[in-house]
Amino acid sequence: MEKAIFHHPRAKIQDYVPIVGRSAIEELRALAERLSGKVIQNINSTFTGGGVAEILTRMVPLLNQLGVDAQWTTITGHKDFFDVTKKFHNALHGRKEDISSEDFSVFLEVSKKNIEELRFGGDIIFIHDPQPVALIAKKKELGGKWIWRCHIDVSNPDNRVWEFLRDFVIEYDAAVFSAPNFSQQLPIRQFMISPSIDPLSDKNKELPSEIIDSVLNKYGLDKDKPIIAQISRFDYLKDPIGVIQAFEMVRKSIDCQLVLAGGTATDDPESEKVLEEVREQASGKSDIHILLIPPEGDIEINALQQAAAVILQKSIKEGFGLTVTEALWKGKPVVASAVGGIQLQVKNKLTGLLCHSVEGAAYAVKRLLSNKEYAAWIGKNAREHVRQNFLITRHLKDYLLLFISLYYPSDAIYL
Amino acid sequence: MIEWLNKNWLSMIAPAIVFLSFIVVAIWARRSLFNYLNGLFTKLKWEGSEILLQTTKAQFFQWCIILGAYTAILVSTLSPQGKVLAGRIIGTIFVISLTWTFLSLAVKLLHQYLRKIKAPFPFPTALIINAVRITFIVVGVLILLDIWKVPTTPIVLTLTIGLLVAVLASRDEILNIFSGFQLAHGDLIKIGHYIKLESGEEGYISDITWRNIQIKTPDDKIIFVPNSKFTKTTVTAYREPLKKATQAFRFYTRLHIKELTGLKAKNLSELVNILSDVPDSVIYYHTHNFIEEYQYLIPQPANEFALWVSDVIGDEILAEKLSNIDTFEFSTIGELRERIIAVINDGLSTRGDGRTAFEGREFHFIKSVSVVLTTPYIAHDLREFVEALRKVSINSLYFHIFESRLRLHRGVNDFSIWLQDSLDERELADKIAALDPYNYTIEDLRSIIIQLIEERIK
Repeated sequence: MEKAIFHHPRAKIQDYVPIVGRSAIEELRALAERLSGKVIQNINSTFTGGGVAEILTRMVPLLNQLGVDAQWTTITGHKDFFDVTKKFHNALHGRKEDISSEDFSVFLEVSKKNIEELRFGGDIIFIHDPQPVALIAKKKELGGKWIWRCHIDVSNPDNRVWEFLRDFVIEYDAAVFSAPNFSQQLPIRQFMISPSIDPLSDKNKELPSEIIDSVLNKYGLDKDKPIIAQISRFDYLKDPIGVIQAFEMVRKSIDCQLVLAGGTATDDPESEKVLEEVREQASGKSDIHILLIPPEGDIEINALQQAAAVILQKSIKEGFGLTVTEALWKGKPVVASAVGGIQLQVKNKLTGLLCHSVEGAAYAVKRLLSNKEYAAWIGKNAREHVRQNFLITRHLKDYLLLFISLYYPSDAIYL
Repeated sequence: MIEWLNKNWLSMIAPAIVFLSFIVVAIWARRSLFNYLNGLFTKLKWEGSEILLQTTKAQFFQWCIILGAYTAILVSTLSPQGKVLAGRIIGTIFVISLTWTFLSLAVKLLHQYLRKIKAPFPFPTALIINAVRITFIVVGVLILLDIWKVPTTPIVLTLTIGLLVAVLASRDEILNIFSGFQLAHGDLIKIGHYIKLESGEEGYISDITWRNIQIKTPDDKIIFVPNSKFTKTTVTAYREPLKKATQAFRFYTRLHIKELTGLKAKNLSELVNILSDVPDSVIYYHTHNFIEEYQYLIPQPANEFALWVSDVIGDEILAEKLSNIDTFEFSTIGELRERIIAVINDGLSTRGDGRTAFEGREFHFIKSVSVVLTTPYIAHDLREFVEALRKVSINSLYFHIFESRLRLHRGVNDFSIWLQDSLDERELADKIAALDPYNYTIEDLRSIIIQLIEERIK
């Protein structure tokens, strides 16, 4: 068991005033006041890598600054456990996975160990994703409010895995999903909270052109040739091979280059294999750049996004797709698959273009590359859409409202 | 000694007679003069008369005696050097007495008048009185030095330079005091006026002192503007204090979270069936969510039922009919629900169920859970109201314009109710009530309402 310690919060809550306005921050403070005295304990599986850790790294210090006693702890597990949870992850996304009864036993065994060893200490226990879901067994002993936060797309899950997890989920006070079609028939309250990005993070802040140019130089990219970029973990669900195929279709009529950039996460043992396949597919093609960006390479990711002419997210399944949010915030025209939470962010022809196939992706990219005014209009809408709905301040507000709502059953709460 | 008196009695007698004469005249003059002054002050009803008479009555007799002594010395047979020395001694006593008397008089009069000044004075009373004392003592000492022929020019010069330095150092303060005097006695700016400075600060004048003007801003902060700066800057003065509301308007805000019902429809029949049973908060969410999510788009997308029917079911005729439902016509969610159901049923009866949604494209029913909070903004009149209106969040506007109007069955927005009931501003209330909020973004609504109120109070 580890506990997160934040010595240097990266941004102060006040720093968001120029972006979202003073009144929005005043409202956050007013909500936080109502949670005075309550301890919120976040529990997930890792401090680094992946969207959940990224969100918690920023959310927890900001909640603390607002006066909410939010804490963050992680469960521990060996490689076998994370191999199993990765299978669960894929299965919940609807992928066929060979999951044996031994796998379930490994999951239960590690969960039991965590239940015994983990130090619980919250009025509200906020469990993130399936890895720690079985900790709910502790509820009877500890009491308090328990929330399960599902960050992944469970709209079409493998039934065997979902039924296994469902037994745990229904013991919670509430479940939280990122999109409406992820919700399930459950006897508990279900809330919808979209994830968010931090506009002040290295990954999303504005960069001077010198930095962007230096990153392009570092990776041997031609700054005068339009860049099509997909920024994602190397994962089958992100369809990197499909992206290469779409690029090759575009490349026939428009001179451009492709960047596939991403990293790996500690709880994703499959990444290396995918990366290898992608490299093989791209070998010998000088306009395709496969970039393995380390976890600390946020500025580089940011620079690549800002340098791109079009950003692709051709996921087969997607929880929410924070890389899409990042691209939209940078005012970039986005072409993305109509899956999962992407549909909440990309309103077709208003804030981006949706696609359903390799051909659709290629066609949309060509439209944007050949009509710069249209691309700029879409990009402008995209940024405003994110400002309104997908920044971390909105996420903070939703979490505060969620915690408050647990104590009130009605639809209209007067505080 | 007797021998000396026998020789000099004639030279003694003249000064003695002169001195005694002065005493007699002094007794008579004091009585006559003070009787006259008493009568005069009684007529004038001057508040300081008693102080003047009490302080100077005993002293007047002393000064007559000193004058008598001085005259006696002049008529005496003393040597010229002796006369000069005696004259200086008597002069010294006279100056000390005169200084002391005027000093006492000034201090007593200052006490009397400072007590009556209601406006806060820029300096403490003790400081002013001490300054007066020092001034009198300095002037007295300078006269004494002059009597004893001690050169005073360097001292006067030093004092003058010191005084100039002090004046220069506190020139802002002095300017403030003069400006304060000008403001306090002018008619242009008064306590209670609403003003706006060139630098952007604005609010009600809550106080005018000798040093500064205090402005109470709409968010209850007090700004202190030095008088000298105030008189130099461009000030927009609005009307006299506006009419106060019988009841203050407290701005609330409302934040909402989306609660998933787990219900979903894949065709029109399912949509209409579920619509009949879901709580009002579900209908409210799907007819209002676009207002917040698409703030940046003009026009905003239609209600979510219409969008789904168009995008997924592909029944464009029904989608158009649903888009055309004017939410503004309904004062309750119940009526709005009935209208939506009637329109869908009409579509079903003429064209049937149409397409079935693909998996993942079903209509998901979501409800809105609202949390209502107070804000720090309160308005007692139109000016405060318009200033608060500029500052409150779009969520607050949303609460007072949309949420209260429809979901809470108020029929009219909160602003119009307050304007009419608490300020008797019927015309303004009607104008705001007549705005169809569904035709504007929230920021547009804010601007329009501000403009209407600004025009009213201009």
